[in-house]
Amino acid sequence: MSKKKEVNCEELCPEWECTQPSEYSGIWVVGEIDETEETISEPSLQMLTPANYIASKLGVEVEGLLLGYDKELLEKAAHEMIYHGANRVRILTSNKLKPYIAEVYARIISQIVDKYKPEVVFFPATMKGRELAPYVANTLRAGITADCTQFDVDEKTGDVLMIRPPFAAILLAYIKTPTRRPQIGTARPNVFPKPPRDASRKGEILWEDEKEYKIPRPRTRLVRVEYMKREEIPIEKAEYIVSGGRGVGTLEGFKMLEELAELLGGVVAGSRKAVDLGLIPHDKQVGQTGKAVKAKLYIAVGISGAAQHVVGIRECRVVVAINKDPDAPIFKHADYGIVGDWREIVTELIKALRERTKKAS
Amino acid sequence: MKRPRIVVGIKWVPNTQAVRFDPKTGTLIREGVPSIVNPHDLDAIELALKTREKYGGEIIVVTMAPPGAEEGLRHVIGMGVDRAILVSDRVFAGSDTLATSYTLAKTIERIGRVDLVFFGQETIDSSTAHIPAQVASWLDLPYIYYVESIEKLELKENKVVVKRKLEDRYEWYEVELPVVIGVAMHSNPPRPISLTNKLRAVTEKPIEVWTNKQLGLDPRCIGLRGSPTIVSKVTWQPEIPRKRKIYQGNPKEAVKWLIKHLEEEKVLP
Repeated sequence: MSKKKEVNCEELCPEWECTQPSEYSGIWVVGEIDETEETISEPSLQMLTPANYIASKLGVEVEGLLLGYDKELLEKAAHEMIYHGANRVRILTSNKLKPYIAEVYARIISQIVDKYKPEVVFFPATMKGRELAPYVANTLRAGITADCTQFDVDEKTGDVLMIRPPFAAILLAYIKTPTRRPQIGTARPNVFPKPPRDASRKGEILWEDEKEYKIPRPRTRLVRVEYMKREEIPIEKAEYIVSGGRGVGTLEGFKMLEELAELLGGVVAGSRKAVDLGLIPHDKQVGQTGKAVKAKLYIAVGISGAAQHVVGIRECRVVVAINKDPDAPIFKHADYGIVGDWREIVTELIKALRERTKKAS
Repeated sequence: MKRPRIVVGIKWVPNTQAVRFDPKTGTLIREGVPSIVNPHDLDAIELALKTREKYGGEIIVVTMAPPGAEEGLRHVIGMGVDRAILVSDRVFAGSDTLATSYTLAKTIERIGRVDLVFFGQETIDSSTAHIPAQVASWLDLPYIYYVESIEKLELKENKVVVKRKLEDRYEWYEVELPVVIGVAMHSNPPRPISLTNKLRAVTEKPIEVWTNKQLGLDPRCIGLRGSPTIVSKVTWQPEIPRKRKIYQGNPKEAVKWLIKHLEEEKVLP
């Protein structure tokens, strides 16, 4: 790879600290602790897939970064990152980091990144990651690209290509940050598979000293938490998904989809149209402005199949489409399509699945 | 008594649902595609209106956009906001989220005393959710995402209690003012436009246009030059190969056909 041109500090916005890309090296993944599961979150591990890929292309190593207040838990999470491909993991633990406050975490991550100067920092685009990453990027005056679906390296310059579908999801924009480091990128959960786990992998765990960092006085205080009752698996974790769109049309129609989902041991989801019509809540929306899913079987009912929707089902193994319009774009993105009235087809499908279970038992 | 001053940042976006694709030329057809106020920003406007109903005060809407966005500002004036500022200048063109947030932060600074800054959680055209955090960082303010409601506003104590929704929980936070808030999508469905308010847009002219003459920002910090990220190329999104087998006919036969295939694929429970 050719050497990069030096940045001329005179040409830079005076609000930015002038640094040279050559001062930065290595790929970082900021890990997130799943507080309910008491371990590293799945989306954090998934980010190790593109991190390992970019690291091998650039001939550098992958490092994890973990922040929190529970030493034992953080150490366990660090080992998981190592088992999934990180070469080493840096941990900062402090009582002042309890509970999680975005601004406090973001400011400390910024300080640690600024100290060790990795060339790339990845965050999972979870709810917390989406809140942290832009603050960190801005504090460092770094470039950030959200919701990437691929990452690659520009062989000529060594810049990382952050690849994301812009607003119509039919196209891919290759975004790079030629003069600033670190290059910050995020990807939504389930866009990348988790690397295989190998518990024999060894890696270093480095404990950061909290005294070396300015932990800001929190201006935000958590005063109350109320957990929602979760009877169902969230759609991003479901193996079977029955998804409805405008064609399903009514709440009563969605009841039928629920019946089908229940038979499959799965959950109901929907398109953006279904959310706009108030037929399902936003946390069950599949697609670009909703979630990406990785079901074994995805059944799209009355969904036309806009690019913004199908971008969310790329990781599904088998896609079935039911739609009355034979020209609906969803059929191009389905393995099996049935043209016809969704009510009749879903009714028959429910019947057939019931009989199938009866036969089996 | 002190009344809150609320700034709401909005974005004028192409209606992504109306964007069509030209398979012959391989380009997006953006001509004739109407622009709209980012629908998620309307939740932020609605939350601002609710807050003003309860605590009084003033709502100032800010957008950085080409002149056409005036139509969008008239729309939100129709919802009842007090003032609207259109930050519009060719020098801002090509801004990424860092440069955009810088320009918006400087605009907010120029407005003067502000207690609450609201943004829609994300936009439908790029959906990065960067701007609220980035603006907070430039202004050195606390920030909080996914907020559904303002539970209690105590201007005298300089604090606000907000409620937000995460995947599996509700959280209540007490935050020092001023604060930047990302308003959760679909949390505050917007009220209809009132004709009286709409007329105000014409008679009272509450829309101000600010160019970089007013803001006086260093050209190295704005537009393309102030944007560390660049789009180096655009290509087709490769399609996931699917089998594309279609059945058209009797529903009962269709389901039989489907189940046979799903059994072969070993994807049935």
